[in-house]
Amino acid sequence: MERSERLWLGLLIVVALVFNVVTLSPLVPWQQWMLWGNPLPSQRIPVEFQNYQIKLPPQGIQVKAGEFVEFVATSKDVTYGLGVFRQDGSMVCQMQVVPGYENKLLWKFDTPGTYDVRSTEYSGPRHSEMFVANAIRVSR
Amino acid sequence: MTPIGWQEKWTLRYAVVGVLFLALSGFEGILMRTQELAPTALHGMEVALNTIRPVAQEPTTAELFYSMLTAHPIVGIYGFAYMCVMGAFYFLVPFLLQKEIRHKSLVPINFFLHIIGVMTCWGASFFGLFNSLYTLYWPLPVSYDRVPLIGSIAFTLGAALIMINILLFSYNLFSTVLSKSNPRSYSFWQFLRAAFGIPRLLKLFGKEDKSAVNLDYNGLPVFIVAIGRGSIDTVINAIVLLSAGALILIYGVAALAKAPLNPSAVDALIYKNWFWWGLDMVADGNVLMYTAGVLYLLIPLLVGRRLFGESVVKTVILVDLLVSLGVWSHHLLGDRVQPLVMRILSGQFVTWGEFFTMGLTTFTALMTIWLARPVKFSPPLKFLLGAIFGFIMGGSAGLIQANVGLNLVFHNTQWVVALHAHTFLLTGLGMLLFAVVYALLPMLTKLEWRSQRLVDVHFWFWIVGSVGMAYTMGRAGAVGMLRRTLYEGTMYQPYLTVALIGALVMAIGLLAFLVNLLATLGWANTLSLVIPDKWLKPRLGQAKS
Repeated sequence: MERSERLWLGLLIVVALVFNVVTLSPLVPWQQWMLWGNPLPSQRIPVEFQNYQIKLPPQGIQVKAGEFVEFVATSKDVTYGLGVFRQDGSMVCQMQVVPGYENKLLWKFDTPGTYDVRSTEYSGPRHSEMFVANAIRVSR
Repeated sequence: MTPIGWQEKWTLRYAVVGVLFLALSGFEGILMRTQELAPTALHGMEVALNTIRPVAQEPTTAELFYSMLTAHPIVGIYGFAYMCVMGAFYFLVPFLLQKEIRHKSLVPINFFLHIIGVMTCWGASFFGLFNSLYTLYWPLPVSYDRVPLIGSIAFTLGAALIMINILLFSYNLFSTVLSKSNPRSYSFWQFLRAAFGIPRLLKLFGKEDKSAVNLDYNGLPVFIVAIGRGSIDTVINAIVLLSAGALILIYGVAALAKAPLNPSAVDALIYKNWFWWGLDMVADGNVLMYTAGVLYLLIPLLVGRRLFGESVVKTVILVDLLVSLGVWSHHLLGDRVQPLVMRILSGQFVTWGEFFTMGLTTFTALMTIWLARPVKFSPPLKFLLGAIFGFIMGGSAGLIQANVGLNLVFHNTQWVVALHAHTFLLTGLGMLLFAVVYALLPMLTKLEWRSQRLVDVHFWFWIVGSVGMAYTMGRAGAVGMLRRTLYEGTMYQPYLTVALIGALVMAIGLLAFLVNLLATLGWANTLSLVIPDKWLKPRLGQAKS
């Protein structure tokens, strides 16, 4: 291996180390509880998927900012996705909803407001209809 | 009319059909972009096409959109990329090893089987409205309330034909490399052990691999090493996808016989792991190794200098093979039920192995060019540099999304499919394959490219259009626009408009290439690709007289 190759390889190693350390560290906010902590959720929110329908708790989803909640999603037919979106359309968080499993996602909402829920995985031609506006209300 | 040899003519046929598949795939892409931008714009065309579709009910716009989305990658990857790769390898492998293809009869068989397979998949989606997408997540392809049964069976049969054909092609390649006519002949197992670097590993620990006595794998041309190792992934990919297809077919036939099977008998997560392990042998396997092989072959030829760091690159290809076997979990980072250790190790850390292999490959390529200065920026060299840019851009986007933390907001967004996949495929792989065509055509036909201006139009329109389209849709993904989703409303219209313009700019580039190809070959040579010589020669003679 020539000197320039060794130098280049060294640079690649540095870049890889820095990127992986930073993105696995608590500098990425949700890594604090997904990798480095195991906080107990204040509530568990069941979400059922079946036949292109997203079935949320009948009383709606009320969450307090700063509290941990756990979404527990199940599917009775095909694979779906549970995605939480801000009002401007940007994504807050998501997970795949695999049939036959309890799919769990722990989350902490920092900002009060209203959030939409959309299926983030293709499940058939009516997939685009799987949208629930103002599904989650986060209060102070 | 220029006399073109038998193998050269077949390579040209593969290339021309591959580029036509690219045009078809691109046309579908433009239709889908148009449909997203203005959902009713294609209504007239939909009505006309519905009259020839063998379906009971008039399909919805969404059904048509998702069916086309299913056909689009099959035509683009297995139609365009595989067709061009097969044609190029069928010429280059015997050329570099200085011996003939072992089973010449397979060359036309592969050609026609591949076309039939791709067109069957395309027809199953375009006419049969099969809409499960290429991901085929269980149990969607056997959920017959969502996907049409006949379309599902037809698509699976088409895919099986493609995979069997790829196995035949790989067999022919391996057979050619291993054939006894080679002064360095060896058994399949010796070749395989060498491909995985077992003798070198044993040597590292002070042991000798006695079964490798006849095999000097490192003595092979580096391009052949890349093809040998890359084709292992090609074979694994075909076998895994065949097994998934067989499963879907069994359910389809049972449903057709009014004896439906229970989809929940198959675990959706295990299936997903198995399917992605095999599917990823293309995206993160053979593409990278074949690409490295092409760069290592063409760049020294084009700049007239020995490849920089040749001893290192063969190890890089070996590492690429090992990495490709363990990266599939980056497609399951959104699956919270996938064990965390798999997501971090396979999904993130092993994926970073590609950063090193592609990083070293790029360095080797650029250093070879740099040390050969001054170099002439011939058409293939320009396109190779464009391809390297595409791989860097698409690869960087891929590393960002293949991250346990960041994937949470990137998974299944337009970021993934645009900034990563399309940059990788169109700017990276697309320009690489164009470079191969630009380099090979003069070797195959002894003809020089007719118009340098059209080459430049092709280059700039293609790179500006593909990067513009991918960057814009990547931005849309970063603000939440999902892939595999037909949106209603105007929220993402500015992004879609720019992306459509980018796609049209690319189309102009491709048109310039096709015009130049036709002008270079001439009508007589072009016709000779589709009409047997014995029919063509008398007609040409008459025309001349």
